[in-house]
Amino acid sequence: MKAREFWLLFAPSLLVMGGLLVIPLVRTVQWSFESVHYGSPGSFVGLENFATALTDPRFGRAVLFTLAVTAATVVILLVLGYLIATAINRITRSRPIVLGIMLVSYVLPNLVGAVAFSWLFDDNFGGVINRMIEFFGGNQVLWFTDQVPNGILVIVNTVWHMLPFAMLIILAGLQGVPTELREAGIIDGARAVQSHLHIIIPTIRGVLGFVTLISIMDVLRMFDNLIALSPQAASIGNESIMLYVYSVAFADGAQRLGLGSAINVLTIILILTLLIPFIRGIFKEAKAAR
Amino acid sequence: MSITKNRAFALTAAIAVGGLILTGCGAGGRTASKNATAVSCDYTAPDSATTVNVLAYNSSAVDPFTNTMVSSCTKGKVAVKHDPIDFGGQVTKTTATLSGSTGSYDIIETYSFVIPGLARDKKLRPLNDLFEKYADKYGLNDINKSMRAGMSYEGNLYALPMQAQMFVMAYRADVFDNLGIKVPTTFDEMIAAAKAIKAAGVMDYPIALPWLATSDIGTSFQAAMNSLDADFVSKDGTVTLDTPEAKQALQSMLSLKPYMDPQVTTFDQPKVQQQMFNGTAAMSIMFSGRMNDLTLTSNSKLSDSFKFAAPPKVNAAAKYSYDRLSIDGWSIPFNTKLDPDMLFVMMASAVSEDASKASIPAAYPARNGMVTADNSPYGKAATDSIASAMPPIASPVLASVTTEIRPILVQILAGNLTINDGAAQMQAVAQKIVG
Repeated sequence: MKAREFWLLFAPSLLVMGGLLVIPLVRTVQWSFESVHYGSPGSFVGLENFATALTDPRFGRAVLFTLAVTAATVVILLVLGYLIATAINRITRSRPIVLGIMLVSYVLPNLVGAVAFSWLFDDNFGGVINRMIEFFGGNQVLWFTDQVPNGILVIVNTVWHMLPFAMLIILAGLQGVPTELREAGIIDGARAVQSHLHIIIPTIRGVLGFVTLISIMDVLRMFDNLIALSPQAASIGNESIMLYVYSVAFADGAQRLGLGSAINVLTIILILTLLIPFIRGIFKEAKAAR
Repeated sequence: MSITKNRAFALTAAIAVGGLILTGCGAGGRTASKNATAVSCDYTAPDSATTVNVLAYNSSAVDPFTNTMVSSCTKGKVAVKHDPIDFGGQVTKTTATLSGSTGSYDIIETYSFVIPGLARDKKLRPLNDLFEKYADKYGLNDINKSMRAGMSYEGNLYALPMQAQMFVMAYRADVFDNLGIKVPTTFDEMIAAAKAIKAAGVMDYPIALPWLATSDIGTSFQAAMNSLDADFVSKDGTVTLDTPEAKQALQSMLSLKPYMDPQVTTFDQPKVQQQMFNGTAAMSIMFSGRMNDLTLTSNSKLSDSFKFAAPPKVNAAAKYSYDRLSIDGWSIPFNTKLDPDMLFVMMASAVSEDASKASIPAAYPARNGMVTADNSPYGKAATDSIASAMPPIASPVLASVTTEIRPILVQILAGNLTINDGAAQMQAVAQKIVG
């Protein structure tokens, strides 16, 4: 490819990336050191915003909650995604309809899905799950005001929303596993479980890494589903980092954009730290593939 | 055959998924002209094509006025546009649009609670001159004088009153009649009624109040303090959150908790409405704009059973009722580039006599004598509520204080903080804001 062709094709992407990623990132870092109000230039405050964020117990609680939900959700996504993908990989005729139904939760706007999901646990709107618990003799569960039940609710909703993505990617990975390899395992006497643990999973390791990477990034940024699922998130300690940013920087007409930016910078550092092993793995694989 | 079947399955799945995507994307288009009234809107149009952007939250009480403005004032080269938005969104967008020398909106919906702060910060255009100019043509002097005062600050009018909302109590007349319960006039009577209803096995949580931790809870606390002739700050601006009245207000709120859904701090007004619709609560206190919904047969089979009354007092000795009076109106932002005369005419048209009449019973218009017991099912209760409400204290710090004390208030009501400790914390936080 000639240099001119390369730049012709690459320039639009560069412009979009620069406009939508680089400039906002630079501005976020700049604002994190400033006191900023809408419509007026910021004034330099040094590390004050970072000090405010790091000494606010609410920020610590938001980080802990976000990490806990991320860890639990990613593990569940990988396990359930793998199991369902394996099952769907075996069906042929009804696969499109099964996939179509499964994708419903993924294509729904997150907030809409979360509102509908919350109704399953809300007596004001039927509360089907509550009725089932009652039917089996269980006690009333305070899904929206008790920290642990509410955390479970958030995790289940996040899994419900993201499972189709994980399953689809893993299914694509499974379809790429050579039949010869599986057959060789069977000839060597591998049982089903052994075949999965020692043949299939190692073969799709890269795909599983990709699902983990994307899932971690997505769950760490969770925000809109909490509006419906955790109406008093802050007071029960179930606030995500992004919801915390929104609360301190924008909600109720607040204008603490500097503080919000500082929290975002800290979040970026946190995300990068968590993703280092996966990024290194991807680089290694890319290097090996050359 | 199998290939055809597979394709049919794939097509069905694609249609199902596509339909859902389109349904999701289609949620929330521009406000249509339903509930709109045709009124005259005689402004001098600019020569060039002009768009007037209106910011107003959607509710059954505000929509009739907004829709009338949009449909009646859009003509020729002038387009009046309004995008659907909820109240929280309006709060955020109001702050954003008023922050710089240029804004996104030309007419904004404001309410009495925020007028002092916005007026002090010179974010709104004073309307005295325009009011005088158009008073006769649009009968603006018929707009309630005290409501105009509620939208004024230091002698200047900053919003043209559209409608008022006040707390109204809705109750299940059938349940009350069956058990021989009288309409409660104090919190103690509410509790006694709740006990009787619970004891009769009618429902577990007869009282429903909007105490959402992220918004309504502050208004409810303020209403309880108002009942005791107090507010978060006094008229001279002194913070009064650790006074005996504040503590008594907190105590009275806590006394209602055993008779309310244990998750009440997650309930906003629509959820309280839902409790009433479902028959899981027998009495509720909300802003009057929510009352008409209760009377619609399309919303609940119990719609005929709901009756309305002024809200009760916190106790028998209280001077006022557990009440908040909020006036909604139209304001012109300081940074709009459009002709203020044109904008004011649009606002005046939207609150004209015809438009105001048409908004009943969904709204309680700001014009004198519009609402009666005959044309509004909750008309008498609303009028009684206004008469028993404490006159509002106009302070520019009230909005900020309300926001900042809210998390502490939630902890008190959740039982995680004692009343004394919580009151002390709220006092400290508010004093920091007042300075």
